[in-house]
Amino acid sequence: MAGRHRHRETGTSVVVYADNYINDIEGEKLEEMCDAFLAKGFKKIVIDFSGTDLVNSIGVSILIGIIEKIKGKGAVVFSGLKDVNFQIFHIVGLTRHIRVFNNEEDALKGSASCDGASL
Amino acid sequence: MSGVDLSLERLLFNLNTLAELGEEITSPKDFTRVVKSSLYMVMGTFSASKGIVFQYDQGDGLFTQIASKGLTDVRGAGLKIGKDAASAIIRNNKPVDLKSADPIIALLGPGREFLERLGARVLAFLIVKDELLGLIAISDKFSGEDYTLYDYQLLSVMGQHISFSLHSHTLLMRLMYRYNENKGLYENLRRIYYDTIHAFAAAIDAKDAYTKGHSHRVSSYSAAVAREMGWSADDIEGIRISGLLHDIGKIAVDKSIINKASPLTSNECKELNSHPVIGYEILSRIKFPWKGIPMMTRNHHEKVDGSGYPDRLKKHDIPMGARIMALVDAFDAMTTDRPYRPRLSFREAIDEVKDHYNRQFDPEVVRPFISVIRKEVLSEVENPTIVPLMHEHLDPVTLSRILEGFPH
Repeated sequence: MAGRHRHRETGTSVVVYADNYINDIEGEKLEEMCDAFLAKGFKKIVIDFSGTDLVNSIGVSILIGIIEKIKGKGAVVFSGLKDVNFQIFHIVGLTRHIRVFNNEEDALKGSASCDGASL
Repeated sequence: MSGVDLSLERLLFNLNTLAELGEEITSPKDFTRVVKSSLYMVMGTFSASKGIVFQYDQGDGLFTQIASKGLTDVRGAGLKIGKDAASAIIRNNKPVDLKSADPIIALLGPGREFLERLGARVLAFLIVKDELLGLIAISDKFSGEDYTLYDYQLLSVMGQHISFSLHSHTLLMRLMYRYNENKGLYENLRRIYYDTIHAFAAAIDAKDAYTKGHSHRVSSYSAAVAREMGWSADDIEGIRISGLLHDIGKIAVDKSIINKASPLTSNECKELNSHPVIGYEILSRIKFPWKGIPMMTRNHHEKVDGSGYPDRLKKHDIPMGARIMALVDAFDAMTTDRPYRPRLSFREAIDEVKDHYNRQFDPEVVRPFISVIRKEVLSEVENPTIVPLMHEHLDPVTLSRILEGFPH
């Protein structure tokens, strides 16, 4: 899979680690990556932010882009958000559209029928 | 537009974005990348899923898109406004809601519908010093919230930041345009200059049926020797031009004298030998960008033992360029047919150079001249100039024999 974002595949789910790359326009590659995972048959994408210090406005813009791009193709959930990032996602309204889990394991275990926002 | 509801977290997030935007627009990154990053920052701040930046051209009134996000097809994305609309936008200078009844929206004409089709909701015009430079258009918020008064104020500040970046880029582009325009004009002048000099050289050589191409050969041989002697590119160019013009004084000499097959009378000889001085008088009136051209022309018939003309100068009093031209001029005369004799072979010409070594020709010039020939025979130079014009094949063994016993 192209792109520099770390990821882990497990069953029909995949965890993608946003790290700090999300804060640069190069982070847009994550959008293509998520799209490609869904095209390969993955049902759920967990974007994990445990390695992300602070999501900036570019990162928010890229995440909105991802949500818009895979609308109707699969589910996206977030995990591992530091408090400051949760606050930012809350401010910009992302938490109203995406389910947020404490960690990636919880996000993967999340009920298949109710695994975050089915976009 | 709804009221202001500001949390500390939002304030910090926005302050951080403004700081990053300031850093971005002053970074040395590529302009396209700066604009794209700036657009993403604006979109992320207001959680807009679609956005586009246009650059405005005052000349044709057209807005052309330079960055976009979330729009699938912006091909042909363009917007045109008249001068009056541009003036009104500059006077208004604040973000506007595309769905509002703001008079600025009405000024957009068909552009309003075009922007609505793109999904735009709020427009921020990019203005610096009463100059409209562009436009940012962003969609409704992803969160579904309305844009607040505070959002409009923040967008205005972010727009000002981006305007400065666009302004700097516009200035740079204008400067580049002027630079390229001047460069083009200079190149044209330079070409005309060279064409004129070449035309002069052809006119000089045309007086003598036997010396067709003589000035061009003296020019390229001189440049080759000067290069071998380590001259600067500028000085090499100077001697190249001087070579083309060295016989310009022959324009004033009667054609019958130049082409005479029998020995010249004393008066005819005097007239012919006046050509370096006439040439000097013609060329010294021209302000060349290279130094020494008139003197190289005047002294190209001087000999290092002081027996040449017109000034009977000795070695060190003769300009180096003239010493180079004295050798290559004589060498070309020897290796081409003349009205009074057929051309000499390469061996015979080199023997003549040997015979007149340190009397007519300067050893400091003969040595690099021989060195150039040797390198050309050994194919050690990319563009040989002398050997290909000899009417005989020269190989390293033959050359070695010809140069045998040549003083070092």
